[in-house]
Amino acid sequence: MHGLFRWSSKWWPGVVPLVVLWALAAWTSTAPLESDLAARSAAALKDTVLDKSRITLAGRDVTFAADAFSEDGRRSAVASVDAVPGVRLVNDETRLVPEAKPFVWSAERDVARVTLSGSSPLPASKGKLLEAARAGLGGVEVVDQMNLSRGAPARFDNAALLLLDQIVKLKDGKITLSDTKVSLSGMARDLGGREAIAAALKNLPEGFSVAANEIKAPPYIFQAYKDPVAVTLTLTGYVPDNNVHAALVAAAGRKFFSEKVVDNLKASVGAPSGFANAVVPALGALSRLSTGTLVVSDREVKLSGDAFYDAAPAQIRAGLIKDFPQGWQLKADISVKPAAAPVDATVCQQLLSELLARGTIRFESGLSTLDPDSAGLLDHLIETALRCPTVNIEVAGHTDADGQDGFNQALSEQRARVVTDYLVKAGLPASRFTAVGYGSTQPIASNETNEGKAQNRRIEFVVRE
Amino acid sequence: MVYLATFHWGWLLASLLLGLAMGWIAVVHRGQGVSKVTSRWLAVLMAALVAIALARILPGRPGYWLDLGLVMFALYLAGCTAGSWLRDRVLAGHAPAA
Repeated sequence: MHGLFRWSSKWWPGVVPLVVLWALAAWTSTAPLESDLAARSAAALKDTVLDKSRITLAGRDVTFAADAFSEDGRRSAVASVDAVPGVRLVNDETRLVPEAKPFVWSAERDVARVTLSGSSPLPASKGKLLEAARAGLGGVEVVDQMNLSRGAPARFDNAALLLLDQIVKLKDGKITLSDTKVSLSGMARDLGGREAIAAALKNLPEGFSVAANEIKAPPYIFQAYKDPVAVTLTLTGYVPDNNVHAALVAAAGRKFFSEKVVDNLKASVGAPSGFANAVVPALGALSRLSTGTLVVSDREVKLSGDAFYDAAPAQIRAGLIKDFPQGWQLKADISVKPAAAPVDATVCQQLLSELLARGTIRFESGLSTLDPDSAGLLDHLIETALRCPTVNIEVAGHTDADGQDGFNQALSEQRARVVTDYLVKAGLPASRFTAVGYGSTQPIASNETNEGKAQNRRIEFVVRE
Repeated sequence: MVYLATFHWGWLLASLLLGLAMGWIAVVHRGQGVSKVTSRWLAVLMAALVAIALARILPGRPGYWLDLGLVMFALYLAGCTAGSWLRDRVLAGHAPAA
């Protein structure tokens, strides 16, 4: 032992090369050691859920900064870095992810993109939401402006995923989830989209509720265009169901006695209430125009075109407003067609006969009240009568052979008078028209068949010079 | 420590061999040794450095360098001890024969 002390006093010269060795070792090993420890620390954190994780090494000391999602998670992350072999100290710069109160998440859709913003609870949820948005929206650009925050309500992911499904059904708008309250605004992409969204919201996870649903449906459009050149009536847009569809097409067929009805209608939900009750009279008004367009958008009816004579626009407007269900609005822009050239008595008779061959003036069964479906035909007859101002016209009423002769006679006279009154109301001089009733005395077809009887029930215009 | 040993085994081995060589030479070295007072001061200095290292007072890279230096120095001392002891045994083995 004594020798050891003696010898040790002579060990010092070796310290000089040792210091050199030490300097070399420090020079060459510091950077590799730091990167090795950084890699080991990162590997130790692989399974820990952290945001903005940052590891910097100085010698064997780790500076560890990260946002953790819970206090336990934060502590265990620091502990696992501390446990990495070779790490001397951990400078703990971790913190908890800020808590959002209220926890607000939103998805907003405009023409070109969908923006997801607000708070998301975990990186995994955020990824899931982005992925779902991209999958659901196809080619639409998805912009991620989500932050990570604590304080999400339970079952947040399920609720947000369900809401993302709804953003697909919007043309534009915003869905906001604030804690457990959902608010929606914007415009549905398709008719029925609003209803589909409302139905889907019933499946929100337990605890979530709808605070405000201000999704608007796109306007419910119905259009009819009367083309005098092609002699067609084109119907486009939506109808509530097949029954209304059939009823509208049938009504159009009755009201437009000479036009061919082109039916391009589609059935869709979302019709405003009173749709059929408003559209049928509106079609009647269109039938009284020589050319015209009818656009029904939600509860607003726009009618534009040319009427046949001066008194007609006011009559059409007043009649429509009277017939409309409550809440419906009319915007009528009706002008009067320029008067056609006058014709002589022969041509006049020919034109009148042609009109009456194509359509029949109808009355309510057994009564002398004009059927509104005949308004279009009557306006055509008035226009023609206005073209021959010098001739007198006999308005002749005929009935079929059913019922008693006396009744038929009276009915035919009454009906002829009603038509004459209508003509006078339209501005024709009363002196030019004589109303005559013939009862069933002048049949033009057999009274044995229903078709024959229908032909015999008629009003004729006979020019008398 | 195990990590340092595995990561720096080359440098540590070099220190050990250097110590072994120095210890081997020291037994028959005729030069001036370190005085008792100086060696005491040196021992105090080393103890202070070890205390600093154990307390982890020195931060970052200097702290690492201190650790590395101390480990290398410890192995150097171990090498010296072993070297001197071996040389002494070799000399003792020859002496009776001489």
